[in-house]
Amino acid sequence: MLTVTDLNVYYGAIHAVKGISLEVNEGEIVTLIGANGAGKSTTLQTISGLLRPRTGTVTFLGEPITNLPAHKRVERGLAQVPEGRRIFLSMTVAENLEMGAYSQRGADTASGMEQVFTLFPRLQERRKQIAGTLSGGEQQMLAMGRSLMSRPKLLMLDEPSMGLAPILVEQIFSTIVEMNRAGTTILLVEQNAQMALSVAGRAYVLETGQIVMQGNARELSGNEEVKKAYLGG
Amino acid sequence: MSFLSHLISGISLGSIYAIIALGYTMVYGIAKMLNFAHGDVIMVGAYSCFFLMSRFHLPVIVGVVAAMLVCTLLGVTIERLAYKPLRAAPALAVLITAIGVSYFLQNAALLLWTSNPKVFPSIAGNTSIKLLGGQLSISPTALLSIASCIVIMVALTWFTSSTRMGKAMRACSEDKGAAQLMGINVNVTISMVFAIGSALAAIAGILLCSAYPTLTPTTGSMPGIKAFTAAVFGGIGSIPGAMIGGILLGIIEIFGKAYISTQLSDAIVFLVLIIVLLVRPAGILGKTVQEKV
Repeated sequence: MLTVTDLNVYYGAIHAVKGISLEVNEGEIVTLIGANGAGKSTTLQTISGLLRPRTGTVTFLGEPITNLPAHKRVERGLAQVPEGRRIFLSMTVAENLEMGAYSQRGADTASGMEQVFTLFPRLQERRKQIAGTLSGGEQQMLAMGRSLMSRPKLLMLDEPSMGLAPILVEQIFSTIVEMNRAGTTILLVEQNAQMALSVAGRAYVLETGQIVMQGNARELSGNEEVKKAYLGG
Repeated sequence: MSFLSHLISGISLGSIYAIIALGYTMVYGIAKMLNFAHGDVIMVGAYSCFFLMSRFHLPVIVGVVAAMLVCTLLGVTIERLAYKPLRAAPALAVLITAIGVSYFLQNAALLLWTSNPKVFPSIAGNTSIKLLGGQLSISPTALLSIASCIVIMVALTWFTSSTRMGKAMRACSEDKGAAQLMGINVNVTISMVFAIGSALAAIAGILLCSAYPTLTPTTGSMPGIKAFTAAVFGGIGSIPGAMIGGILLGIIEIFGKAYISTQLSDAIVFLVLIIVLLVRPAGILGKTVQEKV
């Protein structure tokens, strides 16, 4: 479904992503784990089109999208829940969801919203509330719901557990699994490696802009090096 | 009675400032830049309308609509050629470019239309409306300015709160990256804001020259700066703020002229701005936003 080949991304003179290649197949949950600054978010933002690679290609559904503007990628079914949620704080919950459906010209926004409300009943209660007044967990739900409004084929999530209480993290991850069961392929970037490996099928381990390990998520969570570096022993 | 009549002239001048200030504030909201060429777009709008009416003897409404089209095209072109290539540049580079565009427009106008002032005809006619047994007389231009301001305010509020495009505009103002991830074309949205702001500038230019009939290539610069002041006064980036700031500024200016000193009226306007900004740095309706790192 998604193929990234030999991606090199720079921030000015800083070489942030060094020749990363990865693949996501339909129906999978794939995770990129690694320490802060390993290049996980940069990779994701290059796939979604917010950043441009210096070299390398991104192919989605068999077509190259490396030079496609970000807003066109959404129309093709590639959505991203950005790091730090980045919901529109001054708009209402419902307006945020409407913005999520922006690429679905003329589509039925109401039925999309119903689906999001089934997944996150909390958002329905708060749909007229200004998004900035929501709690952190609710904001994460809104960010996820907003991305689902574009009916993505591949949903990329950047650090969905960031800044949330453990109970909320559990909830968010079980929703991710639920979304995947409903047919959305998932590419997940996480610092909480333990959680990420527990829901993912496959994983890539990033270190200073390079993939240092990859494979079955269960096997990786049993790997001594991974345990030592990312799972706290 | 003179108090009431000054108040009405203040509100009417303020309405014109408010219409100009909307252009500044909307562009700032979305592009985070101060478009100092905005005042000169007003002047181009007034000239366009003037020539269509005086040379081709077109009816007022045709002149106004045509001037709006000319300014829309001009605004979008300026954005495309001068500002868009600088989207990632430091704010200072964009600011200097905007000042450059302003001088370019003034000098192009000087070349095209010479420095001889044109006498602009009042588009609303010259029959004053007498109220309270003839004690209070209101010029039709004043009424037209106030009415235009109200209509524009209502229309813009509806546009930004109820239309798909208007909401996309708010989304872009808040977070361009996140807006892109929603599938919003940020460049198109920015162009649209320039288009709306410039069309409003045409209306303001025509109303301004209708009230103060001397039209020269620098006609737009002082009202432009005052409207910018009004936008900052009300809280830059805020649409209702531009409206309130504009109207207050107009009232302060006319009262300053009437009761304090004609020569000092501009100084008084800017003094009030300084005081307001000392007390409320974000303006009357502005929100203090923390710069994100």
